Amino acid sequence: MARGTLAMLPILALALLLVMGPDCRAEDYRFDDAEMEKKPYHVGGYAEFRPLFFGLDRDAAQYLLKFYNRDEGDTATEYNGKLQLEGSLEKGVGRLFVRTNSDYRNSYQGASFRTTIYDGYLSLKPSSSLTLDIGKKSLRWGKGYAWNPVAFLDRPKDPDDPELNLEGFIIASADYIKSFTGPVQTVSFTPVLLPVYDRVNDDFGTLRHVNAGGRLYLLIHDTDIDLVFLAGGSRTNRYGVDFSRNITSNFEVHGEFAYIEEFRKRTVDAAGSTTEREYDAKSWLLGVRYLSEAETTCIAEYYRNGTGFSKSEMRGFFSTINEGFAAFRAGGDDSLLRKAASLAEGGYGRMNPMKDYLYARVSQKEPFDLLYFTPALTSIINLDDGSFSLSPELLYTGVTNLELRLKANVLVGEAGSEYGEKQNDYRVELRARYYF
Amino acid sequence: MRSITAFILILMMALSAHALDGGELLKQVDRNLNPESYESYRKLINIEPDGRKKEYVLFSVKKGTDKVAALFISPASEKGRTTLRLGENMWLYMPTVGKPIRITSLQSVVGGVFNNADILQLDYAAEYDVEKAEETGGEYLLHLKAKTGTVAYDRLRLWADRQRKLPVRIECLTAAGMLIKTIYFKEVKDFGGGIVRPSVIETDSPLFRGYKSVMIFAKIRKKTFKDEVFTLTFMPNLESLR
Repeated sequence: MARGTLAMLPILALALLLVMGPDCRAEDYRFDDAEMEKKPYHVGGYAEFRPLFFGLDRDAAQYLLKFYNRDEGDTATEYNGKLQLEGSLEKGVGRLFVRTNSDYRNSYQGASFRTTIYDGYLSLKPSSSLTLDIGKKSLRWGKGYAWNPVAFLDRPKDPDDPELNLEGFIIASADYIKSFTGPVQTVSFTPVLLPVYDRVNDDFGTLRHVNAGGRLYLLIHDTDIDLVFLAGGSRTNRYGVDFSRNITSNFEVHGEFAYIEEFRKRTVDAAGSTTEREYDAKSWLLGVRYLSEAETTCIAEYYRNGTGFSKSEMRGFFSTINEGFAAFRAGGDDSLLRKAASLAEGGYGRMNPMKDYLYARVSQKEPFDLLYFTPALTSIINLDDGSFSLSPELLYTGVTNLELRLKANVLVGEAGSEYGEKQNDYRVELRARYYF
Repeated sequence: MRSITAFILILMMALSAHALDGGELLKQVDRNLNPESYESYRKLINIEPDGRKKEYVLFSVKKGTDKVAALFISPASEKGRTTLRLGENMWLYMPTVGKPIRITSLQSVVGGVFNNADILQLDYAAEYDVEKAEETGGEYLLHLKAKTGTVAYDRLRLWADRQRKLPVRIECLTAAGMLIKTIYFKEVKDFGGGIVRPSVIETDSPLFRGYKSVMIFAKIRKKTFKDEVFTLTFMPNLESLR
């Protein structure tokens, strides 16, 4: 009897499962009101830990410029912590938004801690067609992924990590939107005022000016088009246009063009003599984004930097550093190196200071059934001197709100080339970011 | 001769009275599934073969046949992301990036078996023509063909309940007839305001064996929106509609 009952158990269990099956699933699929509730306030952000390991290039010009009076050895480690907090408060047509960024760094220079308000603005929305903003805000104009020559009112982004938040400027702006039926589907206009005074946007340009900028956005025949401008005195007048369009459902093309009036470029020759030249600069970018059926995403962008340095102008800068280092070693005179450091704070210190670049990135979502893993390979190639950076990375997002990224960065180039003269040969970093 | 003509005429009238108008039926299925303009909340659950889950909560709004927008409410890593679809144009706005970027219908902003076209679903009649309509037992079977090459699936086989005229199951196929995924419509629920429709949509795919994605609907309400809501400039402000 007992044996018979035991034999029946699997059948009973199966029957029970079949009967209970739908109810069990219903239990799994709960969707509570609390999950949809809207609160008038929001507090969130992320905390990040990012240790880095560098392989230093002790012969490179940028290494000599930074470490000429001390020996840092062949390798260096750095520990970074970041806390990015954001909060908002909504009442009626008004919304207050604040985003702060706190960076902790422990490196060869010692420990440092800095908190910056990235965004902090009041937004008024009297109708769905009109928004008024006043305060510190990042605008992020342009369609390019790695570079944005038309982002006249933004700080430059890091092509090595283009999706990072950026610190904004203090502005007053409005957005007016109008939709239509027909080939022109949307028109929106964004006028912007950006004051530059002592302690107000004082790193933007010449003080005591109120700069006026604007963007006219059009969606015409399924193509996004922006016309942008900036005038006012803190920087020279500039105008731009960008576009983005899907050629097919998985192939997108985008571009930007910027015209900068009276751009001033300061160059240095091998003897350390500086020259300033004024001209109208034209920068542009053309890019594509493609998604294959196997979910491989490819992004490629060509960037022509009209404000950049030529190969000989860049060699002049590196020669100045090498001459300065030789003078320092010979008699302790570091005046030429200090001059080079001052030039590096200007145009020569930009992330991509030369004229012609190619950006290429290939990422593969979940290869070999490795769920939530996305490997990617990114390269930035300097087409003027043939040097390049190569960055393999592995992203894991399998745990809710946790993002882990392991990334390496290898720099390849001959002496006198941009990447060949960087202070590092390679870099490895782990980034653990937790959202809350 | 006159009696034969009369018989043929009566026969033709009788046949046409019973002929299935697939196009009209598809429009009815669309309207029964969603009001033309509405707001709703959805929970998306991606379930792995080992039972692990990832959940996302979205607020979405739709207007007319070709305008849909959605806002991610949770988890924290996705909060504030918005997606917009105008016909075959799709954009994703991420607060970290700070500007909309174009995305494709085949991608998935949440991973799992649902792609962007499933999450930002337009009316079926807006994207597909009915090639053939059949009656099979208690269901209608509609054979749908994409109107353009930019639609995510070239062909659909849609089974609809004959009484309720609501979808029961949809098979999504490539142009060559290969099955990409099957979508199951379950647990019909009265959402109020005359909206009675499936509250759970499940999908599985032979391309993702063992994986399953589920969409649960709540608080579907008829609501009208201005066209300006469905623009790139408005994407960072979708939260203001809740």
